[in-house]
Amino acid sequence: MSSQPTGGSRVSLKDVKKAFGSNVVLEGIDLEIPAGQFVSIVGKSGCGKSTLLRLMIGLDSVTAGVLDAPALKEQAARIVFQEPRLLPWASVKDNVAVGLGEGQSGKAADQQAAAILEEVGLKGREGLWPSQLSGGMRQRVALARALVSQPTLLALDEPLGALDALTRIDMQALLEGAWQDLGFTALMVTHDVGEAVALGDRVILIDHGQVVLDLPVNLPRPRKRGTPEFAALEGQILDKLFGDDPRAREAH
Amino acid sequence: MAATASEGPFSRALPWLVPLALIILWQVSSSLGWLPPNILPAPTAVLQAAWVKLQDGSLVDNLGVSFARAMSGLIIGGAIGFSLGLLNGLSKQAEMLLDPTLQMIRNIPHLALIPLVIIWFGIGESARLFLVALGVFFPIYLNTLHGVRNVDPQLIEMGRIYGMNNRTLFLKVILPGALPSIFVGLRFALGVMWLTLIVAETIAANSGIGHMAMAAREFMQTDIVVLSIVIYAILGKLADSATRALERKFLAWNPAYAKV
Ligand SMILES: Nc1ncnc2c1ncn2[C@@H]1O[C@H](COP(=O)(O)OP(=O)(O)OP(=O)(O)O)[C@@H](O)[C@H]1O
Ligand SMILES: [Mg+2]
Repeated sequence: MSSQPTGGSRVSLKDVKKAFGSNVVLEGIDLEIPAGQFVSIVGKSGCGKSTLLRLMIGLDSVTAGVLDAPALKEQAARIVFQEPRLLPWASVKDNVAVGLGEGQSGKAADQQAAAILEEVGLKGREGLWPSQLSGGMRQRVALARALVSQPTLLALDEPLGALDALTRIDMQALLEGAWQDLGFTALMVTHDVGEAVALGDRVILIDHGQVVLDLPVNLPRPRKRGTPEFAALEGQILDKLFGDDPRAREAH
Repeated sequence: MAATASEGPFSRALPWLVPLALIILWQVSSSLGWLPPNILPAPTAVLQAAWVKLQDGSLVDNLGVSFARAMSGLIIGGAIGFSLGLLNGLSKQAEMLLDPTLQMIRNIPHLALIPLVIIWFGIGESARLFLVALGVFFPIYLNTLHGVRNVDPQLIEMGRIYGMNNRTLFLKVILPGALPSIFVGLRFALGVMWLTLIVAETIAANSGIGHMAMAAREFMQTDIVVLSIVIYAILGKLADSATRALERKFLAWNPAYAKV
């Protein structure tokens, strides 16, 4: 049994600015994100990626400009962080149930939790404590918790950043599968340009608080790394990220 | 960690070997007359004293009285300490208002208040209750406060993002997060509880284990004095085991407390 597709919701930003005191972190951001799109966001550390993400799911408010995201009014936006942030004292199932919100319990809730745990490949682990899971499995629980209420907008802030390379590849496939099955709009911040290209319909590059590159990725899914087209897109992003500094590029 | 030791009857018996050897040594020394009974009576003499006191019912009576005192003091002091710890942990204003004063009072050894307490309450039940409650208050208060303060802020943010109201946030995130620290406080409190009770019963009481020991001292009944000490040790050990059992039940999620 799999969850019903719920579809995504659009996000639009017009001339958005965000400042913390006198520190202007984002300025002049214009973005139209159609419902159901998978958006990858890359940029150097401290450029404002997390801030942009927090704005788009309503965790922070804009300093100026207009942000329009229907998911916020419907409380249908969720976020997954780099750390799973599971309750260590709650079982896998109870952690997922947190995602259902207040007063949601009983048979229907159990079924929803079971369905989403199956979607993320954790069937049969409902009763375990988080301490009994691997890092990848914990992140799957966090994903299940975010998805169980069938959000139309899902923000992911370096969701795979703490995982080893092999687990990442597994998790990328899982994330792509969940997105295809459920149809939510995905906004994913990542440090890994390859990951951005592999998953995004579109890659947005932020630099000094502005969108400096907005690159559509029109490759068929599931995408194969190492093809010339894939490499060309990666190259384009890295060029923009590091300019002409070949050593920095090499290190990446 | 104990987990590395091989599981078997031998490793289970291991912790008991030294105490057993000591008791045998003690018994042998007494039987050979190296230890005069007016200094330290033989283990068998202590057992015999226990039997006599059991038969005339006074042991059970005194034990019951001491136990009831300990528990009432623990409940009163513990409840106040726990509530204030929660209050000050959750509210910055409350902490600013109350914590400095409490930290100041904490530096007074509570047993130093005994003369004053006797003047206030006489040597009645309330004096002992007051001392025990005061003694257990601080470890519970401090550790509850510390536990609430140190709940992972990322988990609290997560709870808010998922729309938990204050009540749910408290019950599902803050209280369970503070629980390991609260248990540390409880362990400390139990130690203070017995200590206070022993002192209070020894100085001013007409019933209880401490009183039994002091009455025996007047007649040089060392066997009963030693019996009282052994009973205190057993009570302390039982309280500790009970806490451990509670920890295993409530902190099972934490690998540090999981049953080995
Ligand atoms: N709550 C806050 N208060 C003040 N300044 C903040 C706050 N959050 C972020 N900033 C500032 O905004 C800037 C961008 O931070 P942000 O976390 O968005 O960067 P990032 O691109 O996500 O970096 P990283 O890749 O390292 O996660 C930083 O200079 C940071 O100091
Ligand atoms: Mg960030």
